[in-house]
Amino acid sequence: MPLLAVQGLKAGYGVGPDILADVSIDVEAGRTYCVIGPNGAGKSTLLKTVAGIVKPRDGVITFDGASVGGLRPDQILRAGICFVPQDRTLFPQMSVRENLVMGGYLIRDRHRLNERLELVFEMFPRLAERSAQMAQTMSGGEQQLLALGRALMIEPKLMMIDEPSLGLAPRVTSQIFDVIRSLSRDLGITVLLIEQNVKKGLEVSDWAFVLDLGTKRFEGPAGEILDDPRIRDLYLGKLADRGGS
Amino acid sequence: MAQTDVVRTAESTPAKGRTKGTVSRWSVLTMVIVIALVLPMLRSMSSYQYVLSVGTVVFMWISMTASWNILGGYTGYISLGHNVFFAAGGYVSGLLLLELGWSPFATAIVAGVFSLLMGGVAGLITYRTHGPSFIISTIALLLVATLLMDNWAFLGGSNGLSLPLPSLSPSWVKVPFYYAMFLAAAGAVYLGHRVQHSKFGMALRAIAQDEVKAEVAGIDTRRYKLMAFALSAFFPGVVGALWGYNIAYLRPIIFLQIAIAARMVLMAIVGGRGTVAGPVIGAILVVAFDETAVDLFGGSEINLVITGALLILMLQFFPGGIIGTLRDRNRLPAWLDWD
Amino acid sequence: MAEIQVLILGLLLGGVYALMASGLTLLFGVMRVVNLAHAAFIVLAAFCSFYLWEFAGIDPLISIVLIMPSFFVLGMVLYRVLFPRIEGTPRFTEMTVLMTFGLAFVAEGLMARFFGGIFRSASPPYARDAIILGDYYVPTGQLLASTASLVLLLGLWAFLKFTRTGYGVRATMQNRDAAQIVGVDVRRVSTISFGIGMAMAGAAGALVSFLFPFFPARHWQWIAILLSLIVLGGMGSLKGAVVGALLLAVVSSFVSHTLGPVWAPITFFGALFLILLVRPQGLFGKKARV
Repeated sequence: MPLLAVQGLKAGYGVGPDILADVSIDVEAGRTYCVIGPNGAGKSTLLKTVAGIVKPRDGVITFDGASVGGLRPDQILRAGICFVPQDRTLFPQMSVRENLVMGGYLIRDRHRLNERLELVFEMFPRLAERSAQMAQTMSGGEQQLLALGRALMIEPKLMMIDEPSLGLAPRVTSQIFDVIRSLSRDLGITVLLIEQNVKKGLEVSDWAFVLDLGTKRFEGPAGEILDDPRIRDLYLGKLADRGGS
Repeated sequence: MAQTDVVRTAESTPAKGRTKGTVSRWSVLTMVIVIALVLPMLRSMSSYQYVLSVGTVVFMWISMTASWNILGGYTGYISLGHNVFFAAGGYVSGLLLLELGWSPFATAIVAGVFSLLMGGVAGLITYRTHGPSFIISTIALLLVATLLMDNWAFLGGSNGLSLPLPSLSPSWVKVPFYYAMFLAAAGAVYLGHRVQHSKFGMALRAIAQDEVKAEVAGIDTRRYKLMAFALSAFFPGVVGALWGYNIAYLRPIIFLQIAIAARMVLMAIVGGRGTVAGPVIGAILVVAFDETAVDLFGGSEINLVITGALLILMLQFFPGGIIGTLRDRNRLPAWLDWD
Repeated sequence: MAEIQVLILGLLLGGVYALMASGLTLLFGVMRVVNLAHAAFIVLAAFCSFYLWEFAGIDPLISIVLIMPSFFVLGMVLYRVLFPRIEGTPRFTEMTVLMTFGLAFVAEGLMARFFGGIFRSASPPYARDAIILGDYYVPTGQLLASTASLVLLLGLWAFLKFTRTGYGVRATMQNRDAAQIVGVDVRRVSTISFGIGMAMAGAAGALVSFLFPFFPARHWQWIAILLSLIVLGGMGSLKGAVVGALLLAVVSSFVSHTLGPVWAPITFFGALFLILLVRPQGLFGKKARV
């Protein structure tokens, strides 16, 4: 049974139009998935809807056997799904340590909280060095590390990351992707990733979903998807595609 | 390229649904205008004076709300102290009458121009404010004006000034006020219509939608805001001059109580912010509602409660007002679509 | 020296203004709500305190114990009834301004209807007393009020710094989206914060009942003053509200002393316009387009 199963998902913002028209994807535990597609395809909206930030208008979301569609973000977090948004959304005036502690907000047991904190500092020595530094004074790459570290605090089963390389220099991007690779390899966390830097994103992933105009067009192994002729049609021929629909 | 994008978006915003019905807006408008003009001539009508006075009041509110709408509706800058211009107009004409003997019917335009200039000054003072801080500034302006006028001996302080009555027989004396207010109402609505259909109006709407994008697209937002503020002050000044003469008494509290600003806002919201017909419908409905409420409940405290409750209800359930809500549901009859 | 006396009076006044403004700025910080009805509820609390004193002999300072919990509940109920429906709308803050504008009229109208429009003032014995310190006098009522205010503000600070819910409130104030992502129930935090804001208003009202003569329509002047205060200090910053209150209260006391009490409010409005022209985000506010 897949860890995360999305069927027929429809969603939009406020009273606006449907951004997700009909999305169905299956995510197996322990693997890394990359969601790619042109701008406006609904990739971010998909992650936000699973995370509970956007309410679904139709469709089913099942995680670990339980239905999680329409639940509050904190309930979904408790179920084991973590979301790292595009702009990282850190607490600017809190220190690295305080940001990480906030990441463990739902953990009531102080011992477990401290254990997780130790673990994150071990995984990210850079963060340990700067533990007293205010988040807003850190570089883009460090902020992204902090965002990832914060997400790890509650021991998620599924981590959803929206464009981790956004605004980062190429060298830093590689480091971030090394971290993402180790999430799956060393910690066994399932990762669902959005990346505009398609090559890099696919390099760290096992499987790819291709979204356009609010639906999943096709999917396939990450290593082979770029050779699929449909990709070219999608990205290059998308004007014709959109004209048709 | 970016500027035309923003402008194009602003252009396509007002008319969302299609209007329905065969009764055209022109036939309704003509009918309304004819009735309004003829009404004072029907002297044998029962409650003649009452009808005349309600009509005068309705026209006054239409004029003020339609003007407020230019700043609050089209540009999206909500002024909760707009009656400072109402007061300014009243006092300017009142003083001209007392010192020089000039009739406010003649000097109302002067009062309007003075208010317009004051509107410009207010726009300058608030040019760096947006959204909530702008609204707070307008309240502060109102209170500063109240403080100043209550304590300025030249203006009669809080006790005010008495004005002489116009020299007409008592049964005819209210008629010129009726027509003058009607002209002010027609003028303000026409001004609103002209702004709505001008490039100036499109720029204002762009500012209302997204000021940052408008700036980036090259629209000089500060200048347009200033102009909108000044324009929106003109007719309140005019009707202030007329109203002061009508009640023959100038007192700060009469003009400057915040409930007046609240009424303007309520009328615009009930009718529909950012539309041409909205202020008219809103003013008529709110005044009608008021009159019946006073009949049923008496007293001005209930008035306050009703104003507040209506405002809350409209914002919760019908933020687009009557015109806006009808338009969204594609049920706006053509005769109400004056945009 | 007359100046020291004026300074003392100003600081005492500032203490009370700080309490009055704290709830207002908290609401903005947590929920981006500008509550124009805040001062109307302060007046309502003043009436409650006044009537408790007149008819039950309960000292206004004691009445705080009764008033704060009731206003806390009132605040939570008001939040749940009025705000969820408009939550996602664009220009949410402006909508809250308009809505609380309406709420202020409802409150004022009801108060005028049931309590009448005449000036009221509770007069417990300490309201007329003063402590003499050398050349200077310290009005007892004001001293007690400022002390109460200080205690309550410290309590608020402690709540925010040391409790788990307080942590959640602070997180929401800094970045609402981030708070949501780490699992803070922002709806619950908002409801509780509104309750706290109202409770602070309630306490302030109890103090007002014996400090200033009040009547239903008085709240407009106070809300304008409080708004000026928090704009100066930085909307959403509790530190800013306290600093702004003390600063402006002292300056206005000097204005009152030199030009006459009627001109004191000008201080606040002048400061408002000045800060909006020079540094719109206020002294401690974040540099966003306010």
